[in-house]
Amino acid sequence: MITSPDLVAFTKEDDFGDSYTELDSLPDEFSVPLFSHDENKNPWSKTSFAKFTKDFILISEFSEQVGPQPLLTIPEDPRTCGSFDLNYFSLRIMSVDYQASFVGHPPGCGYPKLNFVEDSKVVLGDSKEGAFAYVHHLTLYDLEARGFVRPFCMAYISADEHKIMGQFLELSSEFSKASECLKTGNRKAFANELEKKLKDLEYTRTVLHKETELQKKANGCYSTQAIEKANELANVEKSIYEHKDLLKQITSYPNRKIKDPEFLPYEPDNLFNSAGLDQDQMPNSFNTDDPPEDSSYVRRPSYTPQFIKAKSAKCFDKRLKTLEELCDVYFFNQTMEQLAQIEKMFRGDLIYISTNQIFGALLKKQKITNFLFEDYEDHRDEVERDEYCQKQNPCSAAEPALSEPVSIEDYTSCVETVPIKLDQEITDEELQEAEHTESSPCDVTRDNSEEAIDVDIKGSISSGDSIEVLGTEKSFLTQGNLIKSESQPTLLSPNSETLRKKAVSKRTNSEDSIEVLSTTESHLPEDLRATYPSAIHEEETYLDDSEDQMYKQALTELGREAGPEVQDIELFNPQETTEVDSACCMGQEGLVFEEAMPELAQECSDNGVINVAPQSCRQGDQALHVDFSLDDTSYAPTEGSPGVLISYDLNSSLLPEELSRLNTDDISDSNSFMSASTSSDRTSSPFLEGNPITERHKKKAGQSALRFIRQYPFAQQAIYSLLSGRTLIVLGADEGMVRKLVNALSIFLPNLGKYGEIIKPWLTSPFQITDLQNWKLIGLHRVASPMGSSLLYSLNRYSRYISILDADHKTLRCPPYRGTFVSKLADHRTQIKRGSTYFMHIQGMLTQLSSTVFLYTFCHYLHLPISCDEEESLVVQRRMEFLHVLGFTNEDIRIIEFLAELLKQHYLQGPGRGAAPPIFRFDYTSSFLYKI
Amino acid sequence: MSASCPPQSPAVPKTEIAIEGESPLLAATFAYWDNILGPRVRHIWSPKTEQLLLSDGEITFLANHTLNGEILRSAEYGAIDVKFFVLAEKGVIIVSLIFDGELKADKNTCALSIILPQTELSFYLPLHRVCVDRLKHIIRKGRIWMHKEEVDKACLEGSGHSIISLLTTEIIPVMELLSSMKSHSVPAEIDLRDTLLNDDDIGDSCHEDFLHKAISSHLQTCGCSMVVGSNPDKVNKIVRTLCLFLTPTERKCSRLCRAESSFRYDSGLFVQGLLKDSTGSFVLPFRQVLYAPYPTTHIDVDVNTVKQMAPCHEHIYNQRRYMMSELTALWKATSDEEMAPDTIVHADETFTPNLNVFQDVSHKDTLVKSFLDQVFQLKPGLPLRSIFLAQFLLVLHRKALTLINTSKMKRKSLRNLKTDLDLTTEGDLNITMALAEKLKAGLHCFVFGKSFYTSVQERDVLLSF
Repeated sequence: MITSPDLVAFTKEDDFGDSYTELDSLPDEFSVPLFSHDENKNPWSKTSFAKFTKDFILISEFSEQVGPQPLLTIPEDPRTCGSFDLNYFSLRIMSVDYQASFVGHPPGCGYPKLNFVEDSKVVLGDSKEGAFAYVHHLTLYDLEARGFVRPFCMAYISADEHKIMGQFLELSSEFSKASECLKTGNRKAFANELEKKLKDLEYTRTVLHKETELQKKANGCYSTQAIEKANELANVEKSIYEHKDLLKQITSYPNRKIKDPEFLPYEPDNLFNSAGLDQDQMPNSFNTDDPPEDSSYVRRPSYTPQFIKAKSAKCFDKRLKTLEELCDVYFFNQTMEQLAQIEKMFRGDLIYISTNQIFGALLKKQKITNFLFEDYEDHRDEVERDEYCQKQNPCSAAEPALSEPVSIEDYTSCVETVPIKLDQEITDEELQEAEHTESSPCDVTRDNSEEAIDVDIKGSISSGDSIEVLGTEKSFLTQGNLIKSESQPTLLSPNSETLRKKAVSKRTNSEDSIEVLSTTESHLPEDLRATYPSAIHEEETYLDDSEDQMYKQALTELGREAGPEVQDIELFNPQETTEVDSACCMGQEGLVFEEAMPELAQECSDNGVINVAPQSCRQGDQALHVDFSLDDTSYAPTEGSPGVLISYDLNSSLLPEELSRLNTDDISDSNSFMSASTSSDRTSSPFLEGNPITERHKKKAGQSALRFIRQYPFAQQAIYSLLSGRTLIVLGADEGMVRKLVNALSIFLPNLGKYGEIIKPWLTSPFQITDLQNWKLIGLHRVASPMGSSLLYSLNRYSRYISILDADHKTLRCPPYRGTFVSKLADHRTQIKRGSTYFMHIQGMLTQLSSTVFLYTFCHYLHLPISCDEEESLVVQRRMEFLHVLGFTNEDIRIIEFLAELLKQHYLQGPGRGAAPPIFRFDYTSSFLYKI
Repeated sequence: MSASCPPQSPAVPKTEIAIEGESPLLAATFAYWDNILGPRVRHIWSPKTEQLLLSDGEITFLANHTLNGEILRSAEYGAIDVKFFVLAEKGVIIVSLIFDGELKADKNTCALSIILPQTELSFYLPLHRVCVDRLKHIIRKGRIWMHKEEVDKACLEGSGHSIISLLTTEIIPVMELLSSMKSHSVPAEIDLRDTLLNDDDIGDSCHEDFLHKAISSHLQTCGCSMVVGSNPDKVNKIVRTLCLFLTPTERKCSRLCRAESSFRYDSGLFVQGLLKDSTGSFVLPFRQVLYAPYPTTHIDVDVNTVKQMAPCHEHIYNQRRYMMSELTALWKATSDEEMAPDTIVHADETFTPNLNVFQDVSHKDTLVKSFLDQVFQLKPGLPLRSIFLAQFLLVLHRKALTLINTSKMKRKSLRNLKTDLDLTTEGDLNITMALAEKLKAGLHCFVFGKSFYTSVQERDVLLSF
């Protein structure tokens, strides 16, 4: 196979070292280093030559007076550049005019002609200095400059050569935007300058005209003075012509450029909202239809024309305009902001920049599972950007339809967002219109979509031809209100309210819209169905019987698939007949739930005291209404099964005792739990309600998580609770400590939501059972007061459904964990030292978990009978065997099943629809008390 | 393209090269800084086309531009600096390699440049490293050549083998490479239906173990593979399948097999399909394979064999040694025959690399194995497998990044590192290490604490933990 003649010469077996000395004969200047990386050289160490500490941006100018000179750096801190010679580097990057083109008077043209040159981009390096740069050359206009042009450049300087070339396109794109901003401001300033000059010239012409007339009258037409004045006047006339021509050229530029398909005009953000923007800083529009003569004169303070000499002196002692003056203050500041952003964007090691880009591309392809553990903002933004891009470029949007659909959503729903006005009275016409607005590409994939629905989600609620409202502005707000009112509205700061409002207003592409799943023959308002029937009170009226039945069927289907040990409590609308399984009632002490009543919840929480006395479990909770969808046939209690009700061993008799002990502890030892693992510094808690949770937050939380798994031997059990959907309550007297623990645990929480909606980091009032549906991680304030006792009473009451981590006593009460996955995820012997690294490790493991969940959920043969007569139990057995083969045993299976259920819900409801799973599920499993 | 520029006098010598297919390259130039006349173009290479894309005057103007700023050059003698220009005003991109050379009994700053139209920017960028690496090596040889010529007092034009002929030996292949990439490069987005991952079952198109070995080894050699076979469709299907595990940019730096006749092997591409000749063999240039930036996996789809080169750090070490021997041979050469470009490699007998550059894949992994076992359980035809693949790649990249971060803090904890990251299987560690090495060059040496280990020594180290 390998028969190269090159090989023929090499027949002698030899060690590498023997011929080493032979190579020494080659002079160093002609050789290559044998070892590309030194034994002890850290691959992160910068080149030894670099005289600056980190990357920076340099703006330089080729001054007509002093030659190339550095103007400013970003960041401005001189320590950034260190001893790096900015003057020399400016000289090097500005010594060549890469935009060489003609300016001034072209041959055959009487007037000076502005040449709108394109920016040039150069990558160069100075290997001796260890500096490599992306240099963006641009030309600005200045009426007083030679040829009216001032060459500038913006350079991104780094010690990493690969970074510059690796990010060339990104750097080029970002700097082009900054350059366009600068040039827009410059054109405005140049036009203003021309206008002023024209006014001066016209004023001068008037003055000269008068003087000429006077001279003529005094000395006659042919006197020397009169001729001089006449010549001066002629020069002024010519100058006026020239300047008018220049003004015409500069003002007509955008119109000419718009015809260029690659031109992206600078569009300032919040232009008129900018605080402190003076009237004269407002950018003018340059349009031939709206000439600056009209607009600028109106806006700017009146200008007093001055008499000027017709021949302007071009001397070297004049002061050149600064960049700020050349570009208009507003645009200059905008550019500086943009450059500061660029500096931030490309700051740091190349691997983090490039891997982020890779991660972004990969996450985009797996949107369906991103909601589980990925940074919400990232994938949400991706979705919105895609939608935007598709709107902007219908051609590109149509392309994927011809090939393989990009995402699984394409198959199920062919979702197209149709912005609508969100009134309750949604007319048929509007809906029909919405349907008609659907573009034809959907039809291309419809066949596929139907096939996918049929096969993947048999019995799903989104099958068939119907319109579905997956989420609306109203439902979002309603849910938000519920959350607020049911808990403690007083705790929500005005800030968080504002933030929430802001967030809502930004969701115009998602929540504020109807999503049309596919076309339909009839789509009455009754067809519209709420995403969260348990949470959206008003929209329940839309549910008619048939819809409701469908929904129930879907849920039953999902519930059945969740396995025999899992018992679901589903919240249906109050009109529905309550079905109570007597067997369950015995086990559950007759809990009868109904949907949470906001009024009641409000009443409970407004004054911080429960006004309605909680009913005993046997009597049933009047506030709640439950429908047990327990499948008797599948529910077969076996010994050791976590789902067996008999094995429920929460010793209720101990609870009041413990309660009293806790209270006593609170009083006596409220300050004695300043353990090394936590601190009570409230301000240090990075998790803030109402703020979007970013990867940065999570990385910070990684350190707390690392500390948590090292110091709490039962960390795995706590994490298991979170991963299996069991609400974990962190109980403690010290808010800082509790918040820190909540923060540490939050990174293990699936379906966190953009704002961490399912986390309540600090709760000081009693909670309801419905809160357990909304919140999966709660920080609970232990207080020694009547409210505290009622709070602990509620804790006691629902303790069978929740896990309780007592931060003060360092105990955990939760079901046991005997799997392997969490052991790898949270191994207290880990040698990982840094929080951010540990977070990366967790991210990797959780991605692996998501992948398994995805496989489990979408493997058809695991969920469907192979033959018509195959029993359900065999299908269940097949699923179990499948997970065993994948290495998941015991409680790991519960994790997979819970996450698979979440995935199914998310899949049915579409991406980005809220955070809480609609199914309200409890696992009746034995809990144990773990202590350090 | 740009306004006409006055031609220089005397006319610059030019070599027109007949290229099969479309050539994205407009021209290549060799220029130097004359101490009296300033920047001067020594030679122009341009593709032979009916339509004149750039006049000689324009080419000269552009080439001079690349040297204009180099009067301030302060690089160490022997350094080869790369400059990259996007001159929108001229509508071109220029890649210039600036170096010091000896011409006309003087030390001059020289520039070897290639010029492409600006419209080819996105096409060219993924291939930048390949072109630069190859041109850099020919410049290294050229510098020795120029030095020897000066020592021998042979004038530039009078020598039997001028520097131009040496440079031509690499300029032509680079032109051919770019031309072949224009017509046969792998697209950035690959339709899963064109790959083996669309099969109903794992063994449908090829043997299960073969596919596993191929992908595993492909990942262990940093995503660099050559696929050889007699059936172009079969070869291309494997090429596309392997490219699924690369980034879009790396895919653009991969090439499909040509059905009519095979391309030659090109060093530096990530994946390339190569067609066997009528005798059922493919001549593989050893030097070229060794000069690739990463080790390569050799996959023969006819006989279902997978072989791989030594790990990245060992490969780089071998590569440098081979380069050194080649340069030393040129330095020692005393006659024109010995200096002829084609005979340089054979002249050196001091360095004998291991002939078995391609060895069997001995490291078993669980990552690819379980991926393949699982992905075929998902229904084909739907985007399910694409999503599952994206998840797999995300896991790999995250593992690699965690490994990089862990190594950054603590270099001597290899055993812990393997346990922490669940990389106790040797193949898994190799795959993650290869990806990490690609992301952060030099990591392997840093983790192992020695600049060079052979793969055997490395295995011993691993076992000793």
